[in-house]
This record gives sequence, C-alpha cells and structure tokens, in this order.
Amino acid sequence: MTALACAALPWLAGCAGRQSALAPAGEDAAALHTLFIVMLAGAVVLFVLMNGLFFYLTRINPVALPLRHARLLMAVGGILFPTIVVGTLLVWGLSLLPDQRRPGDGLRLHVTGEQWWWRVEYQPADGGPPVVSPNEIRLPAGQRAELALTSSHVIHSLWIPALGGKMDMFPGRETVMSLRPTEPGSYRGQCAEFCGASHAWMAFEAVVMEPAAFEAWLAAEARDARAPATPEARRGADIFAREGCGACHAVRGTDAQGSLGPDLTHVGSRQSLGAGRLGTGLEDFATWIAHVDALKPEVEMPAYDHLSEPERRALAAYLKGLE
Amino acid sequence: MRRRLRIILLTLAACAGAGAVGGAAVVGLGLYNVSASAGHLPGVSWLLHSAFRASVRLRAPAAEEVPDLSDPARAALGAGHYATACAPCHGGPDAAAMATVRHMVPEPPPVAAAVAQWQPRHLHWIVENGVKMTGMPAWPAEERGDEVWAVVAWAEALKRGEAPPLPQTAQGTAPGAGPEARAGYCLACHGAPGGGVPRLDIQEPAVLAAAMRDYRSGTRQSGIMAQAMSFVPPEQDAALAGLLAGTGPERLPRPAPPPEGAGALATRGTRDVPACTACHGPDAEGDRPGRFPALAGQDATFLATELRLWRDGVRKGSPLMRAAARRLTEAQITALAAWYAAREPAAE
Repeated sequence: MTALACAALPWLAGCAGRQSALAPAGEDAAALHTLFIVMLAGAVVLFVLMNGLFFYLTRINPVALPLRHARLLMAVGGILFPTIVVGTLLVWGLSLLPDQRRPGDGLRLHVTGEQWWWRVEYQPADGGPPVVSPNEIRLPAGQRAELALTSSHVIHSLWIPALGGKMDMFPGRETVMSLRPTEPGSYRGQCAEFCGASHAWMAFEAVVMEPAAFEAWLAAEARDARAPATPEARRGADIFAREGCGACHAVRGTDAQGSLGPDLTHVGSRQSLGAGRLGTGLEDFATWIAHVDALKPEVEMPAYDHLSEPERRALAAYLKGLE
Repeated sequence: MRRRLRIILLTLAACAGAGAVGGAAVVGLGLYNVSASAGHLPGVSWLLHSAFRASVRLRAPAAEEVPDLSDPARAALGAGHYATACAPCHGGPDAAAMATVRHMVPEPPPVAAAVAQWQPRHLHWIVENGVKMTGMPAWPAEERGDEVWAVVAWAEALKRGEAPPLPQTAQGTAPGAGPEARAGYCLACHGAPGGGVPRLDIQEPAVLAAAMRDYRSGTRQSGIMAQAMSFVPPEQDAALAGLLAGTGPERLPRPAPPPEGAGALATRGTRDVPACTACHGPDAEGDRPGRFPALAGQDATFLATELRLWRDGVRKGSPLMRAAARRLTEAQITALAAWYAAREPAAE
C-alpha cells in the first residue's frame, strides 16, 4: 500500500504544474528547486548508505569491530560528517535567503491581504500613479519585481510556488519579497497562512507576460472602465448603481468609488473570479453575485440572492463587459 | 447512638411530611386569601418592599453609564412615551391615576413620589426591567435600554420642575380613530424631531409603512415605537404613512457642523466602511422609492443610535446594512450622523 502510494507521488506532483515548486518558472523558484533536489538526492544517498552499513554489520558480518575502528567510525561518521553536511547546507540555505529580497528592476507591487482576497497596486518604474487591479498578480518575464506585502486584519502569506518562496503578510507592517519569473504562463498562487474560514479559497492567478505585452496590459489596466455596450449590460449597470454595489466596489470612471472590496474596473478581463474561486463565464458572475456566502464562507460581501434571474444575468453581462 | 440518630431522622421526616400536607392544603384547598382588598399579612409588605429596594440598588447600572439627561428633546420624547405607557397607572404630574388603578396591591405610586426617591440609574433599571408581582412591566423591547433614558430624562426634569407637559393623545389613540387623528398622535413626537426622534417627511411612504410593520412585529426593536404601534391597526398603515410622509415638522433641530473628513467617509467609504451614499444618496434619492431610507436632513441623534444598533447586531432587518455597519467606530458614527443631518433633503 505504502509502496503504491509512493509510486503514485510523482504523478500527483506532475498534475499540479501550475502550483508546483517542482516545476519552477522563475529564478527564485529555480534556486529553491535546486536546493530541494540536492537535499533530496543527498538524503536518499545517506539513507541507502546508513541502512547498507546497518545491514552489513548486523546480518552479513555480525562481528564486534575492534575498539579503534569503532571509535573512528563514531567520531567521523557521527560527529565530523554530519557537522560538515549540515553546516554546508546551512550556509548554502542562508546564502539563498537575501536573494528572496533582492532589489527589483523598477516595478513595485503593493499587495495587501484582505478577507479573503488580494488588493494589488502596481507602482510603475516611471513613477506614474499606481494601477489598481486586484486578485491577480501579473509580472513581466525576465525582470525582477519587488512585492511590498502587508495585511488589513489578520496574518496571510503570499506564495506562488512556481515563481518563488512564500512571504508572510502582517497587519501594520510591511514585508518585502522580489520575484524574477522567466517563463511566460499562468500560475496559481495561494494564501499559505491559515487566515479564517475561507483561507482555502484565497488564491489568485499569477500571470507572467512578455515585457511588451505586460506594458500594454498595465496601460490598459490604468484606463477607466469601458461603458456598457449592449442593452443588457446597460441594464446591468443600472442595477449595479441601484443596488449600491459602488459602496464597496470601485469602477473607475463611474460613481462607484468604494474601496472596501475589490476594484472591478477591469474585472471582465481577469482570469478568475473571487480570488481564484470561480471561472469568468457569465454563469460564474451570476452565481457569485447570488451565492457568494456559500462560495466563500464568512465573506464580507452579502449575498444578493434577492435579485431575479434576469437581473443577475444583466449584472453579469455588465461586469463581464468591464474588460 | 444509632437509636438516637434514628429518632432524630424520624422526627425530621414527620415534620417534613406534616409541612408538605399543610402546604398542599393551603395551595390546593384555597386557604390562602389572594384578595387585593385583604392586603398582605402584617410584615409581608415591609419584607417585599425591602427586598425590592435592595434588589434595585444592587442591579442598577453604574453612575458612569448615565448619559447626559439635560437635553430637553430627550425629555420631550420621554414625555411622549410616558403619556400612553406610564400615565394610566402612575398618573401625570398634575393628575392622579384612575381610581381602579389606585386599588392595585401594591398601589402604583404617583409619579412625583415614585421618582423622588430614586437616582437616575435606579429609575433606569426599574423602567427597563419592571418589578415582579407589582404590575410594573418590563420595557417592551429587549436590548433597547438606551431608549429608557428618555423616560428617565423626563422624570429628572419633573424633579427639577421643568418637565415638558404630557402630549394630548386621547384622540389619536382612541379605538375608532381615523388615520388623520392617528397622524396627530404620531406628530406629538415626530412633529418636533430631535433628541433621537426622526423626522418622517423626508421618507417615501413605503419606507414608513415598512418601519411600522417592523416595529409592530418586533423585527425592529424599540419599546417606544412598539407602544406607539399598539394604537395603529395594520390596515391604517398605508394611509398613515402617506399622511406622515407629506407632513413637514413644525420645527427642526439646528444641526451641528460635521467634522472634517465626514464627507469623504460618507461618499467614498474606507477599506472597512462602505460608502453610505452609494445606497442612501448624498441627498434623498428620488429614483428608488422605498428601497433605501433617505438620510439627508435627518436628526443626528437618531442616525447615530440606528448606526449603533446596526453595528451591534440589535437591528437586523437588512443583511446589506448589517454588513455595512459591522466595523464602524464610534467616531465614524458621530461623523456620519452629523454629515447627513447637516445636508439639505432633496426637494419634493
């Protein structure tokens, strides 16, 4: 049974490539990956050697060693060798730590852990106004970006296993990490510190883009929301205003200016809804609006289950159109 | 030794048996005279009254918890409630209670004598909790001890000889009265908003009708409004709401200037507080009748009280408002109440 489970492990790891430290897509994750592989290989070798020696001394050649040999074995194998191995690993491991906070190439992100979502503000290198775009972290490939982390109420931890190590986020305190992704693609990040009922649902998409594509995306993200294009979306915009959604959510360029919940200016172009909870289809938007409390237990947003089916669909059409 | 123990136990058992039989006879055969005209046996009145006084002193709130009772508007609200809820038993400052009431045991003390012997905190406890086996009822809404202070404020004004007169309520509370007479009763308090009494003219009739329904059913907790609603038959709600929404108050309290930053808090919110204006509008919104109450120009004390009730989970009618008020600080509540109170209501 155990052997079977062990044999299945590599396949388990294989299917989680989007959120796997074993499939590094950035410089920082690669360094941790190398450290892990070396330690794993070393541990396997040591395990085989120790058990081989044990087997040899108890089964193959079970005779008492001469006292001199025994003392030598204890001094070298029991004291000297472990000290060197552990000491080397410690120095190597510690030397990797500062790398996780290396200064970036200019782009700086402010990420705040909320209950249970991520407030993300991009501070471009040219010193322009910050660009707000929550619940997704987009980074240019081949550049080192700094992430300044904090939290609003409880401790969270930001972790994108494919891109680097994790860093805790504390209320009233700023921690800094930096990431240099190398492979464009879409990865999954996750809160890695238990933070309440919906901790497990506090995820996000980490999207690595070619630098030019990233610049274009950031410029688009900085723009105000586009006006609703279809009659149904316009009806949705009216419902959005009538229901007071703007009390908590901002849609830049409209009256909605709230800052309690995620900014929805470009929610239609995100890759997930509700911080990695749902997809981004029209049906997902409609479900989210009506049943948010079931999808994310103890969430701050009240469920708008009093809206009729057509009202929900119109609201979904409006939000989906905010690209 | 064992013999003696046996005698003692048997004697005790015999006494207990005789006591039980005697007690059962008194209860079951009706030997105890419950007649109010017969009064209590000698010494029992003194015993009960001493227990009552000691109990009130032990349980009354601390002196620090007593709010400012000098606001005339608060005393006026207390007078309005006293007129229908308390006066039938305790009489008015100048009028004795009904003859029948005066034959209760114990007799409800006339109001001047009743309040003279207590401090405000003791009065608050008595009015909020009532007194068992005396006919003094408890406050008709749980968790609304804050309202009781209005009655205490009126009692304190009475001690000083400055009590506002009790409003005339006979017409509006009569069983067969029409909506116009009922509206007159409502306006005895709402005609002069302030001190926690809201003005009603800024609301849509649907909002007022919903409030009446909620106060009557207890969904919305208020001892004062529960008492008032017991005079309004449900079928008059709609007509009454229409009349009240169309009647401007005789006078309005002069609002204090809101503190700096209150406007930004109300229109933009914070990371913990939603923007009030997204639902309630900066002024009274005309385009969503009955959906959200209008707040512009409302009494600041009333707004602050309601925000506290939402925050503390006492008022629970709307999940939206509960979520919105959850993280309000005391300073934010004061600021938001002052900001809305100072705004001009939307024109009709």
